Amino acid sequence: MLQSLPRNSNSKDPGAQSAPVRLSTTAQWSKDNLYVAIFLGPSLLILSVFVFWPMIKTLYLSLFLTDNLGHASVFVGLNNYMSLFNNPAYLSSLGATLMYVIAVSVLTIILGMLLAVAAQQRLRGIRFFRTIFSSTMGISVSVAAIFWLFAFNPSVGVFAQISQALHLPEINWLADPHFALLAVIMTTVWMNLGFTFLILFGALQQLPASLFEAAEIAGVGKTTQFFKISLPLISPTLFFVLIVTLIDAFKSFGLIDLMTVGGPNNATNLLVYRVYQDAFLNGNYGLASTESVVLTAIIAVITLIQFKLLGKRVNY
Amino acid sequence: MAFTHKRWWFTLGMLLLILPLGACARSEAASRTRVVFWHEMTGPGQEQLKQFAKEFNASQSKYRVEPQFEGNYNEAVQKILHTHGTSASPAVFQSMDVSTSQLYHAKVATPMQHFIDADHYDINKISPVARAFYSQKDSQISMPFNTSQPVLYYNASLLKRLGIKAPPVDPSYSDITRVAKAISAKSHGKVKGLTVEEYGWLFEQFMANSNEHLANHEDGRTGIPTKVHLNTPGTQAAMKWVRENIKAGDFIDYGAGSQAESNEIAAFLAGKLGIFTQSSAYISQLLAGTKDELGITYYPHQDGKPRNGVAVGGASLWISNDKPKAVQQGAWEFVKYVMTAKAQAQWQAATGYLALNKDSQTQPILQKLYKQHPSAQVPSQQLATIKANTANSGVFMEGVIQERNLAQTAMAQIYNGTDINKALAVAEKGLNDSVANTNRANHYK
Repeated sequence: MLQSLPRNSNSKDPGAQSAPVRLSTTAQWSKDNLYVAIFLGPSLLILSVFVFWPMIKTLYLSLFLTDNLGHASVFVGLNNYMSLFNNPAYLSSLGATLMYVIAVSVLTIILGMLLAVAAQQRLRGIRFFRTIFSSTMGISVSVAAIFWLFAFNPSVGVFAQISQALHLPEINWLADPHFALLAVIMTTVWMNLGFTFLILFGALQQLPASLFEAAEIAGVGKTTQFFKISLPLISPTLFFVLIVTLIDAFKSFGLIDLMTVGGPNNATNLLVYRVYQDAFLNGNYGLASTESVVLTAIIAVITLIQFKLLGKRVNY
Repeated sequence: MAFTHKRWWFTLGMLLLILPLGACARSEAASRTRVVFWHEMTGPGQEQLKQFAKEFNASQSKYRVEPQFEGNYNEAVQKILHTHGTSASPAVFQSMDVSTSQLYHAKVATPMQHFIDADHYDINKISPVARAFYSQKDSQISMPFNTSQPVLYYNASLLKRLGIKAPPVDPSYSDITRVAKAISAKSHGKVKGLTVEEYGWLFEQFMANSNEHLANHEDGRTGIPTKVHLNTPGTQAAMKWVRENIKAGDFIDYGAGSQAESNEIAAFLAGKLGIFTQSSAYISQLLAGTKDELGITYYPHQDGKPRNGVAVGGASLWISNDKPKAVQQGAWEFVKYVMTAKAQAQWQAATGYLALNKDSQTQPILQKLYKQHPSAQVPSQQLATIKANTANSGVFMEGVIQERNLAQTAMAQIYNGTDINKALAVAEKGLNDSVANTNRANHYK
């Protein structure tokens, strides 16, 4: 619209001639701006107070050492970042987190899918199993942690008793650095399964029966039906579940705090738990802020990659 | 219309009813000074604190103490620091042992010594080891309150059944090794001999009991620590002791944190574990959980070296300096009340924390407990027989929690086979770096 405005190149005072036109556009603009302000204002205000300001403050704190009241006291530039990446404990946390996140997402989706397919069968009493499969949704983290803690107890736990009865080597699930992460992964997958199952099951139920009837008539086997018809059609749901599980796994805190407190030997000290430890136990807000910034960057990059890579293959 | 009228009359009636009530409450509040008390106790501890406040309020008419639960120790420290100087801050608060140096340097409290001197209070009645933890340069900073000591528990009935001689009340590492080995052998491996939780607090006690300072300047008692030691003869001896038992197959590792504690207690109560070291605060839970006779000894010490004694754990009571004089005085009256011989005896019987008033031991409620369970007396005896010095009075340093995390990690590494020297050296370096940063950030010279 601005490009179509009449221009007078001969005029010594171009502003004078175009003034009325500009005025009307300015009025239009300010009216638009008013609407923008009215509609965006409240959410912007809330977001800036509770999201943007804390983010900026975190970035700011990540460049400082903090005193015993948590205030920024000595500017250290990027030293906090350098010390993080030179700290073998932090690097092993990073590795453990990646392993945990990948294992949890992959296992959750595969197992959830298996249960969802199984629950599709029209069998007597299948409703009972559908309820059971989705039941972990209703279990809180603390209850799950207590339940699994007892199962993993090396003296009186179920696993210990089974391995004793079968004369298998006894595994000290939560105190052995080689098994602790596995134990936490198993628990998390079990926790996640209810939600994943429900979403995937819902998606499968909504697929039109006619497609499968046509496939039957054409003599297509069940396996091929699943991979060629069901899977592509529920891919948006699968993508959604993948992202949610992945981000959830990055944010895992409760189970770690209740089951291993980050040990043994930092084997389960995932990034979020480390942030908590450094901020609220060690009172080292500067370092904790640095770790938060790094964690945010990692989640952002991975989500971006997911959208780029998987977004193309998803049929909406 | 009739309906709205009715409602109007109803509202007016309710208002008339409520108004005098409000006036009553106000006059009651105005005549008493309000003393807000922040604490972090759950379960029986919380119930007993409520009871103390009730009794105290009934015993006088000047002050009204209001106990308020503030979450766990770590959360409470942050809340105390961040509400200080506002109307939301408490008049008197409970804060954990390791926060002592931080709160002291943050200058949020009126030193307890001030009230002790003004009131000519006989502080000698209170346990000197517990007092030493919360004082600096012979001046009481805060009042020791819920106090525990690390001890060693064993299943006395199990030992009798297996025909094993019980360990002495003041055992050395090799005394315990002998018993642990016998338990494993005579039960044919069905019962594990021993565990020591991966826990920084227990690690510190190995040092205290070996008369070693963790931080320089005598554990921070003569100046702000600038250097720390975790790799010492004392810690090496303790870790060698654990490793020896691991190699022999008599030791079981339950890991770290509250899960480790609940697992070791579950195993102990089920008769699958013979011996473990832990806080004395677990006594009531252990006594309630099993019919087996509970054995308790002092915290074990290095062979060929007498015990120096262990430090206390738990928390103390502080009086905020941001409240008017009258409120602070009320807080002090309440502190005095909970430290009486009777209240302290009641506290120990209800919670398992140790009574700190010397006269508490003869109170009927404790006499009854000791008669029923003679071993319940051992932690109090350990506390009473320790001579306080700077090595067994806790580490007066900011960042003790960091030290505990690092020590805990080192223990986990050692239990799983890492070289003792190497693991301890890494932890020591980590802590020294952190101490340097803390001192720099707080402008300590």
